[in-house]
Amino acid sequence: MTAEVEETIKRIQSQKGVQGIIIVNAEGIPIKSTLDNSSTVQYAGNVHQLLMKARGMVRDIDPQNDLTFLRVRSKKNEIMIAPGKEMYAFLFRIQKPKQM
Amino acid sequence: MSNTTVKQKRTALKVAKSSKTLNVSSGVFRVNQSITKTINPSISGKSFSSASDSKVLDKSLAQTPKHTVQVFDEHGQDVTPHPLYNPDPGVLQPKQGKIFPAHDTSWTTVTDFPSVAFQTTNASFTGPFTKSFFGSVSASRTSQTTESVTDETKDLLVKPDLSSSLSDVQARREEVKEQVREDIIDRVVDSYLTETETIWLLDIPAVSVSEDSEDAEAVKERNKAYTELCKNRLGNDKYVERSMQTFNDAPKTKEVQSDSITMVDKAVMSSTWDMYDSFCNKGDASENIVVSAEGKKATVPDSSSMNHLLNPSGPDQSMSVFSTTSTVSGSSAHLEKMTCVLPVEEEPDLELILQSDKFKQDLAVMERVVLANIFQPKLAAYRQLPVIEDPDCVQTQIEEESWTEQSKNSLSPFLEHLWVFKCELTKGRNVSSMTWNKKNPDLLAVGYGQLDFKDQKPGLVCCWSLKNPTWPDRIFHCESGVTALDFSACNANQLAVGMYDGTIAIYNVQTTEQTPIIDSSDCANMHACPVWQLRWVDHDTGLAGEDKGEMLISVSGDGRISKWIHYKGLECVDLMKLKSPNMIVNNQRWNPKILSLAPGLCFDFHPNDSKVYLAGTEEGHIHKCSYSYNEQFLETYKAHTGPVYKVTWSPFCPDIFLSCSSDWTIYLWRQDLSKPVLGFTSGQKVVFDIMWSPHCATVFGAVREGKVEIWDLRVSSLDPTIVSVTNPGVNPTALLFTPETDCVLVGDSEGQVTVYKLKNLPAGDSTQVEALEDVIRTTLSSKHTLGKTDRDA
Repeated sequence: MTAEVEETIKRIQSQKGVQGIIIVNAEGIPIKSTLDNSSTVQYAGNVHQLLMKARGMVRDIDPQNDLTFLRVRSKKNEIMIAPGKEMYAFLFRIQKPKQM
Repeated sequence: MSNTTVKQKRTALKVAKSSKTLNVSSGVFRVNQSITKTINPSISGKSFSSASDSKVLDKSLAQTPKHTVQVFDEHGQDVTPHPLYNPDPGVLQPKQGKIFPAHDTSWTTVTDFPSVAFQTTNASFTGPFTKSFFGSVSASRTSQTTESVTDETKDLLVKPDLSSSLSDVQARREEVKEQVREDIIDRVVDSYLTETETIWLLDIPAVSVSEDSEDAEAVKERNKAYTELCKNRLGNDKYVERSMQTFNDAPKTKEVQSDSITMVDKAVMSSTWDMYDSFCNKGDASENIVVSAEGKKATVPDSSSMNHLLNPSGPDQSMSVFSTTSTVSGSSAHLEKMTCVLPVEEEPDLELILQSDKFKQDLAVMERVVLANIFQPKLAAYRQLPVIEDPDCVQTQIEEESWTEQSKNSLSPFLEHLWVFKCELTKGRNVSSMTWNKKNPDLLAVGYGQLDFKDQKPGLVCCWSLKNPTWPDRIFHCESGVTALDFSACNANQLAVGMYDGTIAIYNVQTTEQTPIIDSSDCANMHACPVWQLRWVDHDTGLAGEDKGEMLISVSGDGRISKWIHYKGLECVDLMKLKSPNMIVNNQRWNPKILSLAPGLCFDFHPNDSKVYLAGTEEGHIHKCSYSYNEQFLETYKAHTGPVYKVTWSPFCPDIFLSCSSDWTIYLWRQDLSKPVLGFTSGQKVVFDIMWSPHCATVFGAVREGKVEIWDLRVSSLDPTIVSVTNPGVNPTALLFTPETDCVLVGDSEGQVTVYKLKNLPAGDSTQVEALEDVIRTTLSSKHTLGKTDRDA
């Protein structure tokens, strides 16, 4: 991994409220993760399906369009997914009560 | 090839007429039994021994199926004749004529047709074999086992053309040694050659006749008659319809068996984008296709797309096409070029993924989004948007209190601290200059460099984006401290950087390359002293000729104001030399030819008239100069007693300008008056930087040692309206207003750039130009009155 990428990941990780960051390849297999193995696998599998669906929806409506970012907010936390061509990075944040 | 000696008895040889079949060898020359040979007695010197003894032959043949024929004369010498066409050297092949003893042998027909022909020829076997030669014929005996017989079925027919050389024989010659018996030589044998009848295999008579032939007329007549007949046939009594029964041959059923055709069911589901993708990718088939693994099929039912039809590479392979041209435009997309279409590597290698640019950008977007979450209220305040509170966020007591505190002060203007641009890199560096990008209002370039002579360290230029206050988007390391920055307006990605050692470099902020596009260090005329200010000035208005377009103008401590042209390298032309006016005054005493230049610290071009500009020097003088006249100043304003750090024209009133200096004062001047109209002092601190507010004509900001002041002339011209005290030990050194919102940025000596929002400043409907002019007028009139009163008094 290049240093820049490593640094960026570290910086993101160190932001307030960020629980973990998972990088997934095009097939849905997690490549790198800062969470533990079982949750990584769980998240990766579920998110992958959601992402496929979302992307399919966007492109069905307009094939020239494409998904750039996907955010899922829930009561307790928020998942942010940045889809790429060959890999997806997604971020799992816990909404701490004090902070945004 | 094995040579066997076959003994042949001298027996009476009769020409066999009946069913003798001769099996001819093709390719493999087999003489299973080299049996009978008749010899033309005219062949002298050669004798054959023919064996009619089957037993002997059997033995020999059973052992060795192949053998060559050799002829020995009475002396035992090998006189086997050479084959006529066989290129085998040396070995003489015998002419062989074989006549099989009728009495002993009963032949079995093994092969098909050749035997027939042979039979006939066999019967008329004669004679002179002199030069003739034919391939040996292998005959099979009934006593032979059937296996050997079947072997011979592969044999070829050798043409029984005894008179000519046999060219068909490609076989190996088998040599059979024979013992020649003398008495056989004397035998005379007659052989007759006959031709068989012509065997017609196919005969199709022609149905067309040439017109030239004799029958042509007759044929034509007949054809005509026939057509007449056909026409007349219908109603004619002569012709009656009659049916007949034909014989039907016995039907025959025939069955054929073939391999079963495997049928495969295939279902394809395609969506709109699938079809679009396939259509787009038809041209460049190999580029954008990602072969998805089988595992993915389960989750994505429509992954086996229509590409099947285009790539018939096997029904088992599923190709799903993702030619996603993802435009990551979450960030400010103008300059920073976040859009990219990456070529897809066919094997998404882990390392490649992680190193790909796309990934970096995706991560950057992610980072920004996270930060946007965190900084949302601040950014919203900056952009003058309503602050959306997170509904899930629980506000604690502490925050409530702080809010209320501020709301108490809501009546008086204050600076609301929004956020700080800072990071590890910039810690401890002094912010020397800041500038906004002309095209992208979210991009800020900050230069870090020490302003003092001592403590010089390598400088740094960081391009910050508003969307990411924790880490700059671009970092450029410079050799010496950065003292001036400016973005170009024409090419919005070019950033000119002036440094402490006098170098001017132009960077391209689109890339992350550390090297500038161009550097002035090669220029002969480069500045010898720190470049204190840089500006890209657009000279479109008014000037003709080569001076059109944007130029980089710099002022430096060596007293020159230069114009830089980016031609092949950076070349500079001096616009003005800041001559020290002392020299001019005292030219009687001093040699007027010695020029001493006053170091220039700042300059500013008139916003409306780009030919006129002001320059401030270290001696405290402000010179008004013209672009086209570089000998003398148009005017000189003397009031400051210390170096003038900044001079700026008012963006609203064309005649007014401000200047600040290290003599703790800020002066407001009018262009035509040689004395300042107003002076602002508050405390005995050096004023580092001033700037007019781009929104309101009466507001300007000043940065002093330890304080940030915002002056509003409508409110008071004696005291600053807002004073914000910074942390002790930290001096704010640079000030920048935001062009669109009412925020101000302050850079300090610790490397931090703080963003403040101006709150509660009395805002007017217009830009308050009249207000400013009023103020000035009143001031001037009061001065006059003061002056008058003084005189009067």
